[in-house]
Amino acid sequence: MNLSSDPWVWIAALLSLAIFSFLYKENPFYRVAEHVFIGVANGYLVTFYWHNILVPVLFKPLFAGRLILIISFIIGTLYFTRFIPKISWLVRIPIGITIGYYTGAYIPAIIQASIIRQVQGTILTSANFAAWNAGPWGIVWSVIVFIGVLCTLSYFYFSKEHKGVLGVTSRIGIVFVMIGFGAAFGYTVMARVSLLIGRFQFLLGDWLGIIQ
Amino acid sequence: MKKRIALVLVFVFGILGIIPFLIPHPIVQNSDEYIRNDILRILAAFALVLALGSLLKVHADKIRRKKVNWQYSWVLILAFIVSSIIGLFGGVAGTGLLPTSFGSFPFDIQTLYENIIIPLASSMFALLAFFMASASYRAFRARSSEATLLLVAAFIVMIGFLPVASSISLKLPAFAQWVLNVPNVAGQRGVLFGIALGAVATSLKIILGIERAWLGGGD
Amino acid sequence: MVRGWRLKFIDRLTKIDRRIIYGILALVVILPLVFPTALKVKPMTPVEKLYEAVDNIPDEKALLLDCSYAPQIKAEVEPMAIAVLRHAFAKRKRVLVLALYVQMLGLAQKALTQVTGEFNSKAQTNADSIIYGRDYVFLGWTPPPLIPMLGMGESIAGVYPADYYGNQTDTLELMQQIKNYNNIGILVCLSGSAIPKSWVAYAQNRFGVAVGVGCTAVSGADFYPYYQTGQFSGLMVGMKGAAEYEELVEENLEIKEKRMASEAMLPMTYAHFVIMLFIIIGNIGYFIQRRRK
Repeated sequence: MNLSSDPWVWIAALLSLAIFSFLYKENPFYRVAEHVFIGVANGYLVTFYWHNILVPVLFKPLFAGRLILIISFIIGTLYFTRFIPKISWLVRIPIGITIGYYTGAYIPAIIQASIIRQVQGTILTSANFAAWNAGPWGIVWSVIVFIGVLCTLSYFYFSKEHKGVLGVTSRIGIVFVMIGFGAAFGYTVMARVSLLIGRFQFLLGDWLGIIQ
Repeated sequence: MKKRIALVLVFVFGILGIIPFLIPHPIVQNSDEYIRNDILRILAAFALVLALGSLLKVHADKIRRKKVNWQYSWVLILAFIVSSIIGLFGGVAGTGLLPTSFGSFPFDIQTLYENIIIPLASSMFALLAFFMASASYRAFRARSSEATLLLVAAFIVMIGFLPVASSISLKLPAFAQWVLNVPNVAGQRGVLFGIALGAVATSLKIILGIERAWLGGGD
Repeated sequence: MVRGWRLKFIDRLTKIDRRIIYGILALVVILPLVFPTALKVKPMTPVEKLYEAVDNIPDEKALLLDCSYAPQIKAEVEPMAIAVLRHAFAKRKRVLVLALYVQMLGLAQKALTQVTGEFNSKAQTNADSIIYGRDYVFLGWTPPPLIPMLGMGESIAGVYPADYYGNQTDTLELMQQIKNYNNIGILVCLSGSAIPKSWVAYAQNRFGVAVGVGCTAVSGADFYPYYQTGQFSGLMVGMKGAAEYEELVEENLEIKEKRMASEAMLPMTYAHFVIMLFIIIGNIGYFIQRRRK
C-alpha cells in the first residue's frame, strides 16, 4: 500500500466515499457532498460563462465600438425580468427567439439525417448489399433489416387494430424491438459497471496505491 | 398581446432557422452567422441567469423559512460563492488577480474541477451499477416470450463483447456483432423514424404557434 | 422436513438483501483490480474503421476532437480521448480540441495535459515535442452547441476568436492552414449523449465533414443505424471500445503507456457474470414460485 500524500487526492477520495455511503442509507456526509457538488459545479459554470463568453464575445467588442451588440445585450437582460412579477412576461422574448431558431434549424437537419439517410440505408440497393462486405450474405442481411424496419413501424401504427396482416407484421416487429432493447440493456450493464470500475481504479490506485 | 409577441418571434426566427439550409446565397448565410454568433450566443450566456437565479432563490428561501435540511443549503451557497470567487478572480488558468495557491497547494478552478466535481459526479453515477444489479435481480423476469427474447439478446451482448467471449465460442463475438448490426439496427431504426417524425411534427407545431406549453402560465 | 428446507431456500432466492448484492458486486470488481491478469482484447470492425479513418487523415488536414463527455461518464470515455490523442500525436496529425458544454472543458484539458506530458517527457528535440499552437490547439467552448457545429463550416477562428487560454486563435501557427471543415480530415466526437447525431445532422449534412464516434455503452445500440449507413465513419462503444482502440494504438504504434480501459476488462468480465447470475437466480426463484401457485 502506498497512500497518496497529495491532500487533493484525499479530498477527492473522501468525497467519493461520502457518496458511496448512500448505499448503506442516506446520511449527512452524503448530503454535504451532494450540496458541495452543486455549489462548486455552478461556480465553475459562472467562471467560464464570464471569462469565455460574456467578456470576449459581448463586453470587449461592445466597448471597442461594435454597438450592434447592444441589441443582444438588451434582449439578454430580459432574462432578469423573470424575477420581477409585474414584467415577468418579457422573459418570453429571449426564450421565443432561442426556441424559434433552434426548432427551425432542427427541422431540415433531422429530416435529412434521421429520415432520408436512414431510408436510403434501409432500401434494397446493390450499394447497401455491398456495404456489408459479406458477399452474398449482404443481400440476406439487407433483406432482414428491410423487413425488420417495416415490421417495427407496423407495430407502432395504432390507427388500425393489429389483426390479420398487420397483426402478423406487428408480432414480427416486436421481435426486432425486443432484440434492440435487449442489446441496449446489455450495453447499459456494461456502461454502469465501467463507471464503478473507474471509481475503484481511482480509490485503489491514486489514493491507496494498491494497484499500479 | 403579451403572448402574441413571443409567438410572432418564434415564427420569424423559426423561418430564419430553416432558410439557411435551403438558400446558400451569401446574404442569407451572413445574416445567419450574425444571428448565431451575435444574438444566440449572448442569449445563451444570459440564460444561465435563469438557472442560477432559480437555484439560489430556492435555497435562500429554504434557509429563510428553516425548511427541512435547511442547513445543507448553506453548504451549497458557500461552495458556490467560494468557487465563483476563485474562478472569476483567479481566472481560467489560475493566472488572474487572485492568487490561486498556498505555497505548493493549488486551489485554482481546474484543481477544484478535477478534485471535487469529477470525483463527486463520477461517484454518483458509479452508484448506478449497484442499483442496476439490484434492480435487475428483483425485476428482470422472463414473464413472456418477448421478455425472454429481450433477456437472451441482453445476455448475448453482455457475454459476446467480453474479451473471454472467444474462449466460450469462437463464433460468439461475431454473432454478438451481427445481433447489433442487423436485428438491432432494424428495431432501432423503426423507433428512430417514429421519434424523428414526431420531433419534426412537434417543431412545426411550436413554430406555427399551435404548441404553446413553452410560454408558461399567466398572461 | 427436507421439502420445508427446500421451500425456504427457494423463497430466500428471491429475497437476497440488496446490501449482499452490493457487497458481492464490489468484491468482484475490487479483487481483479488488486490481482490483475492481462486479457487480450480483439478489436472489432467498427473500432478498426475509426482507427483507419484517423490514421488516414491527410497531412494537410487536421483531426477535430470533440471531447463532449461529462465527469459522470469519464471512466468510459476518457480512455478513448487519451487513446485517440496518443494515436494522433504519434502519427504527427494536427489536432484541434473543443468541448460543446462547459462542464466538459476540464476533462478535455486534463486529457490534453496527460498525453502531451507523456510525449514531451520522452521528446529529445523541439521537432519531437508536442507544441501548443503548432501541433494542437485547444479551442475551448462556446454556447450553444449549434454555433460551432454550423459556424465552423465558414470559419473556425470566427467561432472561436480566442482559444481556451485566451490567445487570439487566428495568430496561432496551426490555424494559418486550418480554416474550416474543408481542412478537417475527420471529426471524432466523444460523447455520452446524442451529440454525435447532431454533428451528423448539422455539420455533416451541410458541409460534408466525416464524423467518427466514441460513445458510452448506454448510447451504443442507438448509434448502430448511423454506423450502418456510413454517417459514422467508425464507432467505439463503451470501455470495451476504448480497450480495443488502446490495443490498436499499442499494436501499431508501440506506445506502451498505461491503458485504463484494458485494465478494466477483467473486473468487467466478473461483474457481468455476477449480474447475469443474479438475474438467473431471480428468474429460477420466480418460476418455481409460479409453479407452486
